[in-house]
Amino acid sequence: MHFEPSPGDAVFRAEVRQFIRDHLPGEIARRSYICSQPPDIVDYRRWQRILHDRGWGAPHWPVEHGGTGWTAMQQHLFMEEVYRADAIDYGWQGTHMIGPVLIAFGSEAQKRRFLPPMLRGEEIWCQGFSEPNAGSDLASLRTRAELEGDEWVIHGQKIWTSDASEADWGFFLVRTDPAAKPQRGISLLLVPMNAAGIRIRPIEVLNGGRDLNEVFLDGVRVPRDHLVGEAGQGWTYAKYLLEKERTASAYLYRNKRELEKAKEIARGEHAGGVRLIDTPEFARKIARVEADLLALEWSVLRILAGEKNLHDAQAIVSALKIRGSEMQQRVAELQIDALGPRALRVFRQGDCSAEVIDGTPLWPAYIPGRLGQFLYARAATLYGGTREVQKNIIARRAFGL
Amino acid sequence: MDFNLTDEQQMLRDGARRFFREHYGFEQRRALLASESGFSAECWARYAELGWLALGQPEESGGWACSFVETAILLEEFGRALALEPYLSSAVLCGYILGRCSDARAGGAALQEMMKGRTRLALAHEEPGDRYDADFPGLVATRRGDGFLLQGTKSCVLDAPAADRLIVSAQPGGENGLALFLVDAATPGLRMNAYPLVDGTRAADIVLDGVRVPAACLLAGGAAARDLLHEALDRATLARVAMALGAMESVLQLTADYLKTRVQFGQPIGRFQALQHRLAEMFVEVQETRSILCCGLAQMGGPAAQRSAMVSAAKVVAVNAARIVGGQAIQLHGSIAMTAEYAAGHYYEHLLAFEKIHGDADWHLDRFARLRGTHAAVVHA
Repeated sequence: MHFEPSPGDAVFRAEVRQFIRDHLPGEIARRSYICSQPPDIVDYRRWQRILHDRGWGAPHWPVEHGGTGWTAMQQHLFMEEVYRADAIDYGWQGTHMIGPVLIAFGSEAQKRRFLPPMLRGEEIWCQGFSEPNAGSDLASLRTRAELEGDEWVIHGQKIWTSDASEADWGFFLVRTDPAAKPQRGISLLLVPMNAAGIRIRPIEVLNGGRDLNEVFLDGVRVPRDHLVGEAGQGWTYAKYLLEKERTASAYLYRNKRELEKAKEIARGEHAGGVRLIDTPEFARKIARVEADLLALEWSVLRILAGEKNLHDAQAIVSALKIRGSEMQQRVAELQIDALGPRALRVFRQGDCSAEVIDGTPLWPAYIPGRLGQFLYARAATLYGGTREVQKNIIARRAFGL
Repeated sequence: MDFNLTDEQQMLRDGARRFFREHYGFEQRRALLASESGFSAECWARYAELGWLALGQPEESGGWACSFVETAILLEEFGRALALEPYLSSAVLCGYILGRCSDARAGGAALQEMMKGRTRLALAHEEPGDRYDADFPGLVATRRGDGFLLQGTKSCVLDAPAADRLIVSAQPGGENGLALFLVDAATPGLRMNAYPLVDGTRAADIVLDGVRVPAACLLAGGAAARDLLHEALDRATLARVAMALGAMESVLQLTADYLKTRVQFGQPIGRFQALQHRLAEMFVEVQETRSILCCGLAQMGGPAAQRSAMVSAAKVVAVNAARIVGGQAIQLHGSIAMTAEYAAGHYYEHLLAFEKIHGDADWHLDRFARLRGTHAAVVHA
């Protein structure tokens, strides 16, 4: 056990930082700074194209598919720099989720067809997993697909589908064998979102955003070869997809950046004529979160560096998800607490107004977006497996309960 | 960066775990707790044989040269076993100070004897009313002939009753500074009032009333003494985090096992989700403690401000975890954990002492906030 960084890490970080400084358009950074999630889809496409042209479109993919061959630590440094500069995280549903699944289980034709436009940011993906009656109990999903000749015909409904309106493609978990045990009868299908029979209803969420959707599938037909891998293996692929990104659930990079923003707010806001950050009470509040965030960071590093665990690996990832999601809420709470009553003003998404009186910004750029982020963070302990499901996993995997 | 143990580190861990399995059964430990000294002199002699008392000391002094990681590995095992020997005071805290003052003749000799198991040491630093901030001792050292005269009081000196020698912090007469002296515990004028702490540690309040020490016993003075003391205390603090981690790992497993065997309402209580979730929460806390320990270890050789900041962060995280893990261990066990005849409560008591030794969470939180400062982040104008 030792903690010396690799000799090339500092040079690598500097290279990434320089590239982002030279190529990240300022207006994208500003929009992303104010409204950090979800990212503006146009900005995303533009930034993804810039990264792709540099060869960094999907650093974690194998080199033969356009990846970088970076070490886990280099990918980590890359992501730190991306968030530090308020660049945009690369496509979650696409390069993070379905991309690696296609690389591992997809046909050659699927890889040729889908990976390059995903990498260039030309095709946006969405994920069709949850259903109105299949949330935490995902395996009870009822959307079904039947083979008719050379086509799958899909009937059912999905919900909480992020980016469904913007997406070109979706990957859907569907039941293809109603007779099999719940997990065994599920398959993974690739569906063009403009197919006949798809109806999308945006859901207005608490922060005013409309990126979540209901997706109704009414006799949607897709070619037989849009099945990923084997029929009945969809559950396995979905698990692979979630396990592939073991450390992503810590939201480490976002959390670090948002904590910096919280400090920035505490430097800008005053209480009783004193900068909030200079009051012992608020300094302690920040320090408390920051200490826990350091622990979270080192939890990520332990996994990235390949620690041989004393405990079950899946339990450790669930612990990371619990802490990472709670941390999103705690950091957002810090920001809101620092803003006080000014946190309550509703800004339209993307509104960057900074009304100025006598040269002093009345509503500094650190205010818009924070309320939205705070409200959005309530979902962090819900999506990707609720906190309570994660605790069930820990009890089962780490202790056999 | 590599979180996996080297072969040598693995041998150290395995050897320690085996040793404690053989020597630290629950009843064996209870007998030690009830004994006069509160620890096992036989175990102490074995620590010397095993080289543990020389761990991390420079090779030229006859030490077992290695990084601080090895100390953390060993202390984690001490924590699992709730070992009672005053190892930390002698080998980690005072040993480090002596190793850095080996040009002081008395220091070099004392280090040799400590590593051989012939002498034990304790750090007499905090004073009544200090509450951890002891940079300006009230205990005064006045030059007298070719030596010094020490006058003052030290409070709650851990492991002092078993110590043959003390490292005493003092204010050199007329200066607003700090100096470290090596003082024989049997020197005339030195009185100890000994008492046990909640975790079985023996401590003492010490009065030094006109204690004479020769000049050769001045270990360090000036800024160097303060830096050295801070560094040694940082190391001891982190070593105790490692020890607390071992204790938490151990009591977590004990609790999990209990949930599988205790039957109520016709089934093992581990089937109840409310209890499973408590256990999962304890698990998360233990994971985060291990991570923050690594964070602290990574900064052990770094610049002082960075090192102290990370040690404080480690203490803050670990204390919070210790409260949750220790408290829930009792709650999940039920009344059996309230008895001295069952281990869970002993872990709780150990973790309680851990909270308050070398700075509590409030003190470390303030130090962390101060040292982390408020460096500016990227802003898009």
